[in-house]
Amino acid sequence: MNLALLRADLTAISGEEYVREHPADRRIYGQMPLLAVAPGSLEEMAQTVARLAAEPVAIVPWGGGTQQTWGRPPSRPFVVVETHRLNRILDYTPDDLTISVEAGMTLGALSAALAANGQMLPLDCPLPAQATIGGLLATAMDGPRRLGYGSARDLLIGIRVVEATGRVSKAGGMVVKNVSGFDMMKLYLGSFGTLAIIASANFKLIPQPRAAASILCRAATPAPLWKLVNAIAASQLVPVAVEYLEGLELAGAPCAVAVRSEGLAAAVERHVRDVTAFAQQAGVSAEPLRDAAHEQLWNAINDVPQTATLAADELVVRVTCLPADLSNALAAARAAAQRANLPMQVTARALNGVAYLRVRGSAEALREWHAALLKAAPQTMLLAAPLALIAELPAFGTHIANLDLMRRIKQEFDPVDLLNPGRFVVGQAG
Amino acid sequence: MNRAELIAELERILGPRGVVATPDALLTYDADGCVMDTHEPHVVVLPTSAEQVAAIVRLAARAGMPVVPRGAGTGLSGGATPMQGGIVISTARMDKILQVDTANGRVLCQPGVINWELSQYLKPFGYQFAPDPSSQKACTVGGNIANNSGGPHCLKYGITASHVLAVQVVLPDGSIVWTGDGSAHTPGYDLTGVITGSEGTIGFVTAAWLRLTRLPEAVRVVLALFPDIAGASNTVSQVIASGLLPAALEIMDRLAIKAVNDMYKLGLPEAAGAALLIEVDGVEDGLDELLHDITAICWRNGAIDVRPARTLAEQNQVWAARKNAFGAMGRLAPTYYLVDTVVPRTKLPQTMDEVGRISREFRLPIANVFHAGDGNLHPIILFDRRDRSQNQRALEAATGVMKVSIDFGGVISGEHGIGVEKQDYMTLLFTTDDLAAMAGLHQSFDPHDLFNPGKVFPKGRGCGELAALRRSGVAWSALKSS
Repeated sequence: MNLALLRADLTAISGEEYVREHPADRRIYGQMPLLAVAPGSLEEMAQTVARLAAEPVAIVPWGGGTQQTWGRPPSRPFVVVETHRLNRILDYTPDDLTISVEAGMTLGALSAALAANGQMLPLDCPLPAQATIGGLLATAMDGPRRLGYGSARDLLIGIRVVEATGRVSKAGGMVVKNVSGFDMMKLYLGSFGTLAIIASANFKLIPQPRAAASILCRAATPAPLWKLVNAIAASQLVPVAVEYLEGLELAGAPCAVAVRSEGLAAAVERHVRDVTAFAQQAGVSAEPLRDAAHEQLWNAINDVPQTATLAADELVVRVTCLPADLSNALAAARAAAQRANLPMQVTARALNGVAYLRVRGSAEALREWHAALLKAAPQTMLLAAPLALIAELPAFGTHIANLDLMRRIKQEFDPVDLLNPGRFVVGQAG
Repeated sequence: MNRAELIAELERILGPRGVVATPDALLTYDADGCVMDTHEPHVVVLPTSAEQVAAIVRLAARAGMPVVPRGAGTGLSGGATPMQGGIVISTARMDKILQVDTANGRVLCQPGVINWELSQYLKPFGYQFAPDPSSQKACTVGGNIANNSGGPHCLKYGITASHVLAVQVVLPDGSIVWTGDGSAHTPGYDLTGVITGSEGTIGFVTAAWLRLTRLPEAVRVVLALFPDIAGASNTVSQVIASGLLPAALEIMDRLAIKAVNDMYKLGLPEAAGAALLIEVDGVEDGLDELLHDITAICWRNGAIDVRPARTLAEQNQVWAARKNAFGAMGRLAPTYYLVDTVVPRTKLPQTMDEVGRISREFRLPIANVFHAGDGNLHPIILFDRRDRSQNQRALEAATGVMKVSIDFGGVISGEHGIGVEKQDYMTLLFTTDDLAAMAGLHQSFDPHDLFNPGKVFPKGRGCGELAALRRSGVAWSALKSS
C-alpha cells in the first residue's frame, strides 16, 4: 500500500486538517491506526469509504471513542473514519415528536436540543458529552430507563448508512409506525459497525415527564434488595428504572436499589409511597430523592459502565441473562471476586437481566474471575480488558448461536471484511 | 417430482389429515384479506411441529416449489397469497400456548395462537400481549410477527417488534434455529429483529417467546364528539404535542359512525362528524388529571360532547365498535378497500383534507377509522367491485392516498405490510440502493427465493439482481466527480 497516495486522496476528499497520520489518540488496545479521517458530510464519508474499499484497507468507524475497547481489537492494520463532524440535526419538528440527527452528534448535545422543547430521547449512556448517537447504536448500549421506555431498538425509526462499498442506503422513515420494507434498523443496531457505517438516525421522542423522583434503598447485603425488586415486579407500579447497585460509593452502602419514577406528579408520589413501603417490608432503608439529587444519582449511575478511562488492570464486562437468573449470576460473580480478593462494582438493570461489572486485579486473578463468571453467565461480553488478557478471553461469551447465518449476512454486506475486521462475533474464531 | 409423488411425500410427513389437495378446498387458500390478485396453491399443509415444517421445506426445495406461510388469512396486503402456487403452510394446527413464564416476563407460543385468545389466556396471570390489531379475534401471533403488526395500543406500548423477544424459525435450508431465549442481548446480529416484519420471506416462525405486559391498574375511556374531522385531528396533534401520553387515540369519521351506530347501539348524534376515542391507563393516581387535560384540549378544539365510558361494559362496547368498524362497512357498500399509510402527526389535519379531496375527485365515499395518535391513516374506500369503473377509481384513489402520505413525509404502510398490494409503490419511498440493501438481507437468508416469493420487492426487480447491483460497489473517483 502507498500510504502517501492514500493520504493525498483522502485529503482531497475531506481537507488537509481532517486527515492525520498515525494518530496516537485513536489507538485501540495499543494498535496505532495508519490514518484517521474525519469527513465533513455524508458525501465525503461515502467517498472516503469508497476510496478505502478500492485500496482495500480496513476501516474502524469512530464516534466519541468511549466504547472502542468493547469486543476485540482490529485484526488488521486500519484507518479510522471519524463521525464527529457529522453532528447536525437534519430534521426536527418538535410537535411530531420525531427527530433525524447525524451519527456524530453526542447524546448530550441531542438531549440539550430536545430539552429546549420539553422532550427527550430516554437512552441513558455513560459520558453523554462524548458518546455519539452512532456509537450508541453500533454497540446497542442500553441504559437503566430501558425498563420504562425501551432501548434504542424500540426508539429507532429510521437510519441512513454508508455501506462497505461507499454506497449510501436508508431504511425506515420519520413516522412512529412503519412496515414499509425490511426493518434494516434492527440489522445495523448492535452490529459493531461490521455491516455499514451509520451516518444518521431517526428517533421517536418522548415528552419530558411533568414530575420525577427516585427512591434509593440501601442495604448491607443483596438478599433483601432482591426481595424488594421482586415486590416491585409483582406490583402494578410502572417505574422507568429499577437499578441494582453494588460496591459503589455513590450508593452510600455496600448494596442498593435505585428506583426511578417519571410521569404525572400524583403517579410519581404513589411510586415513592409504595416503593418505600415495599422497602420497609423487605427490611431495607428507603430515601426519596428529588430534583438535583435525583438527577445527580442517575448521572452517576449511568457513568458506572464507562470504558473511556481505564486502569491498566481493569476488566469491564456486561452480563446478560433472563431477569430471574440475574441475582444468581451476580452471586456467582461476587463469590468469585471474593475468592480472588477483587473489589467488584455492579450496576444492573434488575428487571431486564442486564448487568455491568467492573473488577481490578492481577491478570491471574482476573482470568480466574472471568472463567467463573462465564460458567454462571455464558452470555458475558467483554467491554474492556487489560492488554495482556484481551487476546485470550472470549469476548462474546461461550454461547454464540447461529454463527453460520451471521457470517452469511456479513459476507453479503462486507465480503472483503473491510469494516471492523476481527472485532465482532463474526470475526471470532470457531 | 410430479404432483402425486409430492402429495404422497407430504402425507408421509404429516399424515392424510395434514394435507389439503382437493380442488374445492384449495380455492379457499387462493388469497388472504387482499383479494386484488388470487392464485391457487398446488397443495396446502397443516403441520403441528417445527420438525414437520422443516421436513416440508426440505421437500419443497427438492421439488423446486415455493413455500408460502399462512396464519388466519386476515392480512390485507396479499402476504399469504401464493403468487406462484407452491405449498401453503398453514399454522392452524400449531395453536398451543406452551409456557407462561411470569418471572421472566415472557410467554412461549406456537404461531397459530389467536392474538385475542393469548391475551384472554394471560388475564388471570395479570398480564397481556400488548399488540392488538383490530382483527385480533381472528389473526394469529405468527401473522402479527410476520407483518410486525400494530393496533390501537401501539401508541403507548409500541409495535409488535418490541414485544417479540426471540423466535424459533425454519430457515430456507430446512434448519431449525432459535434466535435467542428472550434475554435482552443475544451475541451477534439481531436475527429476531430482522425476521420480525419480513413477511415470511426469510424464515418461517414455528414458535416465539413474546413479551408479557402487566395489565394496568386502572383504565379510563372517553369518547369525544366533534362536528367535523378537523376538530378531532387537531385535538390529536395537540395532545401529542402537549406531551400527554394516552394509551390509545382513535378517530372515526361521520361515515364510520353511521356504520357502527346502529350495529352497536352507541346512540351517537347524527350531528357528530367525528368521534375521538381516548384511552388512558396506568396507576390510578394521576389518571383523572391526565384525562382532564386531554378533554380540555377536546373542548378547545370545538368538541360538542365528551362522554366517559363509566363501566367496563361501556368501555368494551366502545372498543367493540371501533375494532369491528371495518365489518360494519358492509352496511354502506358491497366492497371496501382499506388503505394503510402513515404521516407525521402534525400533518394529520392536512392529510385528512386531502383524503376528502380524493374522495370527491374519484367520486367514491371514503370512511375513516384510524390510529390517529400514531399518524396511522386507514381511509376505507367504499365501492362496488362489480362495477369496473368503480374498481379502477378505487385503485386510483388508493394510489392518491399513498402519494399524499409520502408528500407529507409519511410512508406507504404502518402495519399491514407491503405484500403484493404495495410492492410496486416501494420505489416511491426507496431508491434502488435502499432496496438493494434489503435484498442483501433477503439473499443471506434465502438465496434461492424459496420463501414467499414475489412479495415486498417491486415486480420485475428480483432480490438476486438487486443484491448483485449492491455488491458491484462504486468507484470513489466517480463519486468524487458527481
